[in-house]
Amino acid sequence: MNKDSNRKITVEDLLRLKKAERPPDEFWAKFDAEIRAKQLSAIVSKRPWWAGLTRSFTIVRGLQLPMGAAAAVALTWAGVRYVGTHPEPVRTMETTVAQAPVATRAVATTVSAPAKAPVEVRELVAEVAVRHDSQASKPIVASTSSHLVQAPAFASTEAATASPFADGIAVTLADYRSTVPDIAKEATFGNDREFEPSVAPSRQTVSDPLARMDPAEERRSRLLAPALAAGPRALASDWMKERASNNDRMYESMDDHSSNDRALVGFRF
Amino acid sequence: MNASKTLAKTLVASPERKLEADADLSVVRQVQAGDVAAFDKLIGKYRERVVGIIYNMTSNREDAADLAQDAFIKAFQSIHRFQGQASFFTWLYRIAVNSTLSHLRKNRLRSFFSLETMQEGDPVSREVIDALTDKTGAGRDTFVRELQEKLNDAMQKLSINHRTVVTLFEIDGLSHQEIAEVMQCSVGTVRSRLHYAKQLLQAELQPYLPK
Repeated sequence: MNKDSNRKITVEDLLRLKKAERPPDEFWAKFDAEIRAKQLSAIVSKRPWWAGLTRSFTIVRGLQLPMGAAAAVALTWAGVRYVGTHPEPVRTMETTVAQAPVATRAVATTVSAPAKAPVEVRELVAEVAVRHDSQASKPIVASTSSHLVQAPAFASTEAATASPFADGIAVTLADYRSTVPDIAKEATFGNDREFEPSVAPSRQTVSDPLARMDPAEERRSRLLAPALAAGPRALASDWMKERASNNDRMYESMDDHSSNDRALVGFRF
Repeated sequence: MNASKTLAKTLVASPERKLEADADLSVVRQVQAGDVAAFDKLIGKYRERVVGIIYNMTSNREDAADLAQDAFIKAFQSIHRFQGQASFFTWLYRIAVNSTLSHLRKNRLRSFFSLETMQEGDPVSREVIDALTDKTGAGRDTFVRELQEKLNDAMQKLSINHRTVVTLFEIDGLSHQEIAEVMQCSVGTVRSRLHYAKQLLQAELQPYLPK
């Protein structure tokens, strides 16, 4: 047994053993040759221009938190100052975008135009928004095709007189009705969530020739073909004769009541 | 008296280190003045210690050689920015340790260990090995090899930061203050890491610690 076997061994003693791990001499010869080559190449090769930038970023990296906080404060201050100096355009845009679809056309024009948009367009948007604000109590809902069909009287009577929004809705409704056949409307309006059909027919014309044909007219002409061959007088029906006599009576009554400066006109259908 | 001297040496850099630092600074001034060959003196002086630190952190000889060379080249390229506020070896150690830490973080999943030959010429290591075994010849060599592997395994089970602190303090003999400068952390952090790392190592190396 060794005389040192009773010695108290600690973790520090074991770690000190690692100090004795040393590479052989060949390792150092190779190490010196490699480091000399690397040193020479480092002397010869020119350092890239961005090496200084990398060092700058490394220095700045230690200041991330204060610089980020300063940037946030600066952005907040700039935003508050901008809103304080330009309150109207922001408010007008918000109001217009949030309102009726007719105004959306004007807003889209303003948004798609460059920053220096024509003054007329801005005034138009502002005027439309103000007029709509004054009539805010009147609900105008025309976002889907089903709404257009379900509330035709509301849109057509009020729209003609009340506001440009209503005018636009009436025009859109008329365009839509004139271009889309009844069968297509029923099929389309069954889905409340579809928005596109309410806009698309007003922009594009119906290219299908069958859609332009009136089946009732075609049927009528086919049935009346033998009668037309007999002569035009045979076409006069009893209700047409009665209508002609009604017109004659109407004109006579106009002559009777046209005394003084006032004329009362009566229409009977 | 001796205990207080040891404690002071542990906490702060020794006067010998300050003399070394002054000598290094004069060499650095030569390199900064354009004497490139003077840098070879610094390489020759610190290559073994730098390679030793990196080897004990990576447990791989080839990685240690590459990283040590890169550390010396980085120091050579940046030596014009060295102001002399810290000692040269602290500055060089910081470069080497940072390169090694980034290398270990990049290659966390890749680990190829290699063992250096233990030089038993060192009296301290011979004494420890003698205390652990009474064998001689092949049996002793096998035991030493096994002990080396076990030490490497225990070191690799530590986190990178704990391993670095243990290497710098226990193997290279730096003070707490110097380790704090190298690792850019507080002295308290160094002590805490050292204490925790020793506890883990004690648990791992328990079979080799006779009661």
